[in-house]
Amino acid sequence: MKTAHEVRPGNVIMLDGNPWVVLKTETSRSGRNAAVVKLKLKNVLLDSTTETSFKGEDKLDVIVLDRLDCTYSYFADPMYVFMDEEFNQYDVEAENLGDAAAYITDGMEDVCQVTFYEEKAISVELPIIVTREVTYTEPSARGDTSGKVMKPATIAGGSTLSVADFVKTGDMIEIDTRTNEFKKRV
Amino acid sequence: MTSRVKTAMPLANWDIFCAVVDNYGDIGVTWRLAKQLTNEYPISVTLWVDDLTSFSHILPSLDPELTSQVHYGVKINLWSHPLPVSFNCPDVIIEAFACNLPDDVVQIMYDQHQAFKKNLSNIKAPVWLNLEYLSAESWVEGCHGLPSMQNNGLKKHFYFPGFTEKTGGLICEKGTLDRRKVWQSHLHYRMQLFDKLGLKDIASSDTVISVFSYETPALLALCNLWIQSKKPIHALIPKGRSLNCLQPLLPCSIEELKPGQQIKHGELTLHILPMTDQQGFDELLWSCDFNIVRGEDSFLRAQWAAKPFIWHIYPQEDDYHLIKLDAFLNLYCSDLSENTAHFYQKLNISFNTGNQEDTHKAWESLTCNMPELNKNAKQWPINTLNDTDLASRLVQFVKNS
Repeated sequence: MKTAHEVRPGNVIMLDGNPWVVLKTETSRSGRNAAVVKLKLKNVLLDSTTETSFKGEDKLDVIVLDRLDCTYSYFADPMYVFMDEEFNQYDVEAENLGDAAAYITDGMEDVCQVTFYEEKAISVELPIIVTREVTYTEPSARGDTSGKVMKPATIAGGSTLSVADFVKTGDMIEIDTRTNEFKKRV
Repeated sequence: MTSRVKTAMPLANWDIFCAVVDNYGDIGVTWRLAKQLTNEYPISVTLWVDDLTSFSHILPSLDPELTSQVHYGVKINLWSHPLPVSFNCPDVIIEAFACNLPDDVVQIMYDQHQAFKKNLSNIKAPVWLNLEYLSAESWVEGCHGLPSMQNNGLKKHFYFPGFTEKTGGLICEKGTLDRRKVWQSHLHYRMQLFDKLGLKDIASSDTVISVFSYETPALLALCNLWIQSKKPIHALIPKGRSLNCLQPLLPCSIEELKPGQQIKHGELTLHILPMTDQQGFDELLWSCDFNIVRGEDSFLRAQWAAKPFIWHIYPQEDDYHLIKLDAFLNLYCSDLSENTAHFYQKLNISFNTGNQEDTHKAWESLTCNMPELNKNAKQWPINTLNDTDLASRLVQFVKNS
């Protein structure tokens, strides 16, 4: 069991007897330090998607399915193709990648975990920390340096996130894929 | 064929569970909701509360020793473990502010759900709602009304109060704004209330400010400023957390203070307020020129009072409450001039961060902007409420569930 707060894209959870792939997670602060976690889920059996909310501390039944360490190989619309150590290829539907798709880039070497349900590849879980290049960010805004100053940046793959003000275009940065948060410059 | 629709009056019995955490906030909101549902709809409400002593401060007729009693048509049961009164599965069950329902209550709902699924009963499991905290943040719209699928097959819904049409609305009993308008158009009501509360020596032209906050050094800064005011100012403060930061102005310990007691410094008179019920508190907010409120319930009542106010928001980890404050201020100040909006926001933020100097400066800067603030405060409830309060949206939501 994991708390809703700990669940991440790529996990498969059982709800009312059905397996659901977690496509997207959004955590918000409610009152008195309680968290609300909004999940976008895809039913593995029915191919239907839904959005649902949980309290951050709600326990969810994350099921352990067959998993293989794989690396990203190429994109064959609408499938992402991953490959294991023995060069077996597995197709994963783009939709099933959910938020993880933002970090899939050509040539990436991150070891991902592909999850199988009844021998079909159904989701991909990224490493918790990935390193990506900043492809564009504005120069730092000097003069406004009180507190933790953040600014938007685009990373390889096209997605955007907030980074520290000192980060420059071309820098490599570490990102927490659970929260899509900038961790540090490397 | 067996009818799958309950034949008794639909959705007639609602149970609300409330865990009291901060004395008056959670119970203040749920008590208002329970009363409103009972008074304005054909709904029988049972309110389960885990701290009747705190509750009795805002409902003086409540007997904290009784495990079950009825007030204003609402059945009030003590929520202890195990439940001291038998639980009858209602049509709607609300867990207020993410409190966790007792396991045996969830089990009863589950049994009912299973019986319905297996055609052994024609009664569905209750509509189960998690009534969440009020926030002006934009993410609330995306979470309001979402189902929360439970492992056992039961479905719960998140219900978010809020300021926009895509949220659950705001608690406001029918007629509140009209009653307030009548009250404020008869100036003698204000003076009668002050007399009733034992507040002496307040002239009708004096500035009166109610203070119901948490501790903050910013309050002391304001009081020091008010001491040097050009005209008399009266700060009305109940015995509670606000006084913890005013010790330098008090002649004795907080415990020794008595309701009705006056402490005079220069042009400022501190009045120690007696506890009052919710109606009395509303009338107090209607009667003051400026209100300092906290939490959720008094925050909303200050808005309905149509007077300028400072919101001392409940502090959260990593100062997250300041984001919530900012979200509200952005909405509230949207029709104010840039200058007034700037200083009003600065006043609220510095009060919440305990910045004495900024609080002092912002208050002084706002003095000549009070007419604009007052005008905005009068228009705000009309625009925000927009004829759809939380209870009516909630009833509609349940009908559609």
